[in-house]
Amino acid sequence: MAILQVKNLTKKFGPPAKRFIAVNNISFEVKEGEVLGLLGPNGAGKTTTIDMLLGLTKPTTGEIKIFDLPFEENRERILKQMNFSAAYVNLPWRLKVWENLYTFGRLYEVENYKEKIEILIKEFKLSDLRNNLTDSLSSGQLTRLYLCKAFVNNPRLLLLDEPTAFLDPDVSDLVRKYILNKVKTEKTSVLFTSHNMAEVTELCDRVIFLNEGKIIAEDTPAGLTRRIKFCRVRLFFDSNINKVELLLKNYQYIFSFTGKEILLNIEEEKVGQFLGRLSLAKLKYSQITIEKPTLEDYFLKVIRNKNEN
Amino acid sequence: MAVVIRHLYIWPRSPERFMWTFGWPFFGLLIWGLTISFLQKSSSSNFSFITMIIGGIVFWEIIVQPQREISINFIDEMWNKNILNLFASPLTKAEYLTALVIIGIIKMFITLISLTIGSIVLYKFNIFASFGFHIPILFINLIIFGITLGLFVNSLILRFGISVQEIAWAIVAIVQPFVCVLYPLSSLPVWVQRISIILPPTYVFEEMRRILFSNKIEISNLILALLLNIIYLALTLWFFSVMFEKAREHGRLVKLN
Repeated sequence: MAILQVKNLTKKFGPPAKRFIAVNNISFEVKEGEVLGLLGPNGAGKTTTIDMLLGLTKPTTGEIKIFDLPFEENRERILKQMNFSAAYVNLPWRLKVWENLYTFGRLYEVENYKEKIEILIKEFKLSDLRNNLTDSLSSGQLTRLYLCKAFVNNPRLLLLDEPTAFLDPDVSDLVRKYILNKVKTEKTSVLFTSHNMAEVTELCDRVIFLNEGKIIAEDTPAGLTRRIKFCRVRLFFDSNINKVELLLKNYQYIFSFTGKEILLNIEEEKVGQFLGRLSLAKLKYSQITIEKPTLEDYFLKVIRNKNEN
Repeated sequence: MAVVIRHLYIWPRSPERFMWTFGWPFFGLLIWGLTISFLQKSSSSNFSFITMIIGGIVFWEIIVQPQREISINFIDEMWNKNILNLFASPLTKAEYLTALVIIGIIKMFITLISLTIGSIVLYKFNIFASFGFHIPILFINLIIFGITLGLFVNSLILRFGISVQEIAWAIVAIVQPFVCVLYPLSSLPVWVQRISIILPPTYVFEEMRRILFSNKIEISNLILALLLNIIYLALTLWFFSVMFEKAREHGRLVKLN
């Protein structure tokens, strides 16, 4: 069942003469219990899309249906079952942690919100900070507080715009596990943006790649990385480094040196041929590492293509 | 020199700094000039100027408090980068505005109590004893006008962004010379009177002085003020709603954060 349906969504800003198309005719769905990653370089239209899904920005054209209801006509009913957290949104600094959470518990009309918030405070390791003023929290503690707020109404659809941007690796891990557990146990659907590609790979069932307001790819994280033909081969040579360099130049490989280590970008299917050439030339390496392409490689490839164009 | 030039760059682009340079000194000159000129003309009469001025100050706060609370609490959400949390929640515009109005009225009553006690202790002037059962209609008019000003300021912020936040503090000072807080309508130049008579508080301050001086009241003036207030409030609510939708349409709402 599709929890979120977006059809031909477009957002244009500015007068006709200086019109800027932030989101250009995009369509996608998020199913129940699915984590969908929204990726793309800065200015790709990710945040504008999220703003439209929250009703903060009005679409120029297109249709948004959440829980099978048109958004504009059912705003309050829908938002009661949604929530969000974004790196660019804070909570009032002069309120204590519990005061902020109680405010949102009431705003979302959560039943037994006090008990629920106490559980969230424990789960996000904020118990010791419960009575602290929000402006005394570190950026990592703040991010955990914002995530607490995002889960306060047990949302069926959660929009997370770079939620782990300021977290330590161990707390990021806790948050990822928390999200995955919610998805698994309560069928929460999540729309997720992040610049941490490893995190996207771990969390997302599917990824939409936006560039200049358009969807340019839609696939699983593994599917997107398979579109990268190249892999990285790291070789360490104790001797004959000049001969290795000559061989690489002769065969016009793309490579770089760091001391005795060579980093080679090569098509995955040609790795065997390359190793054969080394063997024929009797050039022996002491270590070899073959790194498969990652989502980050796909991201960088798109950015480079954009910059070249 | 670089710092001087840096501040000169920003000056023409900052309406609030223009107000500091030209606006406030001018309004100060206007209000105190008109007050003193009225006092000079009336120096032979036998009523208590202190009562009139204290009454004016207390009544004026009934406009100022709801306006400031409504506008500054709205701006406070932007300073806190919390405005998107609110409007991305199930909270409706009407609920949000109602909450701002309620907090404005609560704070106004707290101020009113402290000013009443202060004026009794310091000047032996009891506002409730002086105005008796006329107080509800006098206060309702002032409260509605304060609410209207507050909502109007919030609408301007939605339209022009946080850069016009100074108006939250300025608007009452801009209005004050026209609504005859400390001097009667007749002491104003004719062209200013034309503006004053379309502002509901003018009638309230005129009737306040009439009660203090002659213990009489023209209730029709207060009903006219109430009608004007209702019209202005309705127009301002419509204006806020339009500005809110325009802010969503043009992406200005998210920029307020």
